[in-house]
Amino acid sequence: MDEIKAGLSEIDCDVLVIGGGTAGPMAAYKAKMKNPDAKVVLLEKANVKRSGAISMGMDGLNNAVIPGHSTPEQYTKEITIANDGIVDQAAVLKYAQNCFEIIQELDKFGIRFQKDENGDYDVKKVHHMGTYVLPMPNGETVKKALYRQLRRARILISNRFMATRLITGKSGRIAGAVAVNTRSGEFLVVRAKTVIMSMGAAGRLGLPTSGYLFGTYENPANSGEGYAMAYHAGAKLANLECFQINPLIKDYNGPACAYVAGPFGGYTANAKGERFIECDYWSGQMMQEFYKELQSGNGPVFLRLNHLHKETAEHIEQILHTVERPSRGRFHEARGTHYAETMIEMHISEIGFCSGHSASGVFVDEFARTTVPGLYAAGDMASVPHNYMLGAFTNGAIAGEHAIDFAAEVDFEEFDRTDVAREQERVLAPTRREDGIPPNQIEYKVRRLVNDYLQPPKVTRKYELAQARFAEVREDLENAMVVRDSHELMRAMEVASILDCADMAACASLYRTESRWGLYHWRTDFPERNDADWKCHVLLSKQADGSMGCEKRAVQPYIVPISDDEKDAYYKQRITAEA
Amino acid sequence: MPLANTSTAVPVVVDEGKCIADKGCTVCVDVCPLDVLRISELTGKAYMKFDECWYCMPCEADCPTGAVTVNIPYLLK
Amino acid sequence: MTFEPFEAFTDVEDLADKLHDADASVRRVAVMELADTADPAAVALIGSALKDESAEVRLQAAIALGEFDGRETAEMLVIGLVDADPRVARAAADSLAELKDPAAADPIFPLIGHADPRVRSGALRGVKELRRPEALAYALRALEDQDPQVRVEALGVIGYLKAEETLPALIACARDPMAEVRRTAVGALAFSRSNHAAEALIRALADADWSVRETGAEMLGKGRYARGAAPLLAAINDADWQVRVKIVRSLGQLKVVEAVPQIAAALGDEISNLRKEAAAALGEIAHASARPYLERYVDDGDPDVRKNVRWALSRIE
Ligand SMILES: Cc1cc2nc3c(=O)[nH]c(=O)nc-3n(C[C@H](O)[C@H](O)[C@H](O)COP(=O)(O)OP(=O)(O)OC[C@H]3O[C@@H](n4cnc5c(N)ncnc54)[C@H](O)[C@@H]3O)c2cc1C
Ligand code: SF4
Ligand code: SF4
Repeated sequence: MDEIKAGLSEIDCDVLVIGGGTAGPMAAYKAKMKNPDAKVVLLEKANVKRSGAISMGMDGLNNAVIPGHSTPEQYTKEITIANDGIVDQAAVLKYAQNCFEIIQELDKFGIRFQKDENGDYDVKKVHHMGTYVLPMPNGETVKKALYRQLRRARILISNRFMATRLITGKSGRIAGAVAVNTRSGEFLVVRAKTVIMSMGAAGRLGLPTSGYLFGTYENPANSGEGYAMAYHAGAKLANLECFQINPLIKDYNGPACAYVAGPFGGYTANAKGERFIECDYWSGQMMQEFYKELQSGNGPVFLRLNHLHKETAEHIEQILHTVERPSRGRFHEARGTHYAETMIEMHISEIGFCSGHSASGVFVDEFARTTVPGLYAAGDMASVPHNYMLGAFTNGAIAGEHAIDFAAEVDFEEFDRTDVAREQERVLAPTRREDGIPPNQIEYKVRRLVNDYLQPPKVTRKYELAQARFAEVREDLENAMVVRDSHELMRAMEVASILDCADMAACASLYRTESRWGLYHWRTDFPERNDADWKCHVLLSKQADGSMGCEKRAVQPYIVPISDDEKDAYYKQRITAEA
Repeated sequence: MPLANTSTAVPVVVDEGKCIADKGCTVCVDVCPLDVLRISELTGKAYMKFDECWYCMPCEADCPTGAVTVNIPYLLK
Repeated sequence: MTFEPFEAFTDVEDLADKLHDADASVRRVAVMELADTADPAAVALIGSALKDESAEVRLQAAIALGEFDGRETAEMLVIGLVDADPRVARAAADSLAELKDPAAADPIFPLIGHADPRVRSGALRGVKELRRPEALAYALRALEDQDPQVRVEALGVIGYLKAEETLPALIACARDPMAEVRRTAVGALAFSRSNHAAEALIRALADADWSVRETGAEMLGKGRYARGAAPLLAAINDADWQVRVKIVRSLGQLKVVEAVPQIAAALGDEISNLRKEAAAALGEIAHASARPYLERYVDDGDPDVRKNVRWALSRIE
């Protein structure tokens, strides 16, 4: 079992989608629907049936722009403010305009959204600005419903293939990808006219406080290959210094879901049982307040439901324990914790990259195009900020529809065969050693260093030390890592991505010499926000000499203007008057 | 550096009396996003081979015979 | 070396034999494999497994049919719905609820009159999302059912169809002996903007059960029933704070200026959720008379209350 076999196959397709979690299935489906004659391949490291962040469903849409409850313009404004102005609005607006149609389509697929007794979407108001929360209390079958659609559309699904590198051609255009079977170590070379990446967040970057490598907030299969592959293919990555850090249930390390509890009257409280969060939107600012409360004498922080009716608290409990992270219930049960009786201790997550929750992603425009021709990205790994699940679906759809048209106009890009041979050699190198360091130890070390040095508040000297330590680990990874079977080979490739992401996190953070996005990019040496010099994107990419480098890129002029007092209102933690 | 084997308690338990892997079922192995379950060549039943679990539960939810129980990994319990 | 890198699309016929294997577990695996084909041709075969002697195989078939849609799927599932084994029946009911194709409703309708209340509930739940007008007659009859769960499911069907002629029946259900039935009826009748609907919602404010009162209060505001204003105001001291929250919110949505002093009194409540809702409602009403009250609470200890107070004041300016 799991022994490494030699083997290499090659296939061709019009559109290759890498990552079959949330954005990926939608991209593949939309591409195939638009051109049923085209060959669309969906490549997935795990199994599309239950892969990705939404493996067991989600308890709600956080950012549904539904007519009658909010408008695309209003949403665009709020995201712009919540992301401290660093937003190319075209992509956000396009999402907001398209997402309602996607909700209706998902509904037809059999994905269950909460409806009132008259069958209308039961949208919940969370704060004054707009109303964006649509619960999905029975949403645990999301992936099954998606899988069913993919099979009906006869999309070619390659499960248990892990992509390791993209292939680009001589002109710089995308030519395909190399993948490895996680159960046999066999290689698959996919020649493709276009490639859509949807490999999720870089969720295995920081180490959870439990020390358990796989006890991450994100699905740990999302180990950052998307970011690493984009980087090595020459694509630009945006605002990686805007880390993802989420509130969660301590030790369990899964979401506490104040979003679910909010409409019922639950909230995040300090040890006194009182609210302390001023900020209206899930953002770095909010996490900053969370962090400060944790550190202060008022901490720790709790999810509070014990002031509610027992029935209400139990109803929330029931939702939280059946969808999304259903083992939450088991965790509390073992400790004898009941939501109706005690407040639930919360904490903050390890760091990661994720545009779904923050803004760190491969740079894309409003058509999901990266800076590499023919290469697209959607979902948590693409740079459209605060996008969450519905953003992954919607932008996946946009990517699929654009890519299939692009594929119709181009031929396969020629590439250098030695690139494939070199990649095979890189992947297999650890299998050729008799002894050395196993991937799990290298991974533990990298992620421990990430916690020690990269976790905000960000200190320049600590970041420089981190870079030196990462370089040492890289030596070990390249020269001493040893792998005994194909499963471990997958972990070895993952740790290489994790290390690449750690380096990117350090490099991007050091470049932006200001503080922004609250806790996400809080630099103690540059504590102030500096709009004069830094109201811009930071794009990281591989330089001509092979080194890692950053550049500034101007934010596109706003399509939905925001007046000064609206911005002001947000920073002073007050609500705008015109909501 | 030479390698050692260190033991570890894994969170997922399979009731071998219920498991029908020997009749061709591979559901839990198929759906696991971390690919940590296998069918034992010895017993013909499913088991957790690698201690790399996200305690996400598709294995338990999709098992046709109710043979799988997901516990919380000890380190974070 | 080459290998097949894609998930196979197995031919349904190739799996048919396995359905007759002597070993029930093998048959069970065959049912799962048939479901994975996603091929409509598999429906009849899976359906045949609903007559298997093994309850386990029948259970698997009932679950597997949840992957398919259409009339034929429904025809099979109704076999499962009347299965003697409650697990099979429950799984069939769940799969019925997954159907999306309106044509699937026809084979289900007759079961709404079945002798077993679980079958009646399951059938009603199955036709709800399909929104077929013909379902009304069946559902209205089911409102008379002895079994409260059947009545709740029937209300679900009727509520989704939003037909004005069902209003008298819905209003009658708002007086049902069971609280859950009353609550569902109160939620379902709020599609109608008529005075009769409003009166029923107003009556709900005096219900013995807090969740019925809560729903009534919420619906009066959500549906902007102007005649709800006075009764809501009269109910503002409800014994239950979660009900008071909804009353205050609805008074805000209805912009009831006369309610300002009473809502303002809630600004001093010990429950912060209620203080916050009161401030928000005063902002909605935006009447100058609220200013002195609000000004007293700009520095409330709770940030959400504070923000809503400031927001409300900015609306009055
Ligand atoms: C615990 C949790 C709770 C959340 N709650 C909510 C919520 O309530 N509401 C909401 O709107 N959003 C929520 N989100 C966010 C939302 O789930 C994500 O934004 C969204 O699902 C991301 O979709 P994606 O396609 O980018 O990534 P995913 O769905 O994670 O898919 C990525 C896929 O790529 C695959 N993959 C990774 N690497 C490779 C590789 N090298 N080769 C091949 N395949 C690969 C993975 O196996 C995975 O299937 C939550 C997220 C988490 C983690
Ligand atoms: S899913 Fe259940 S029956 Fe099937 S192999 Fe796994 S444990 Fe055994
Ligand atoms: S709980 Fe999740 S990660 Fe763990 S074995 Fe089951 S499916 Fe795999």
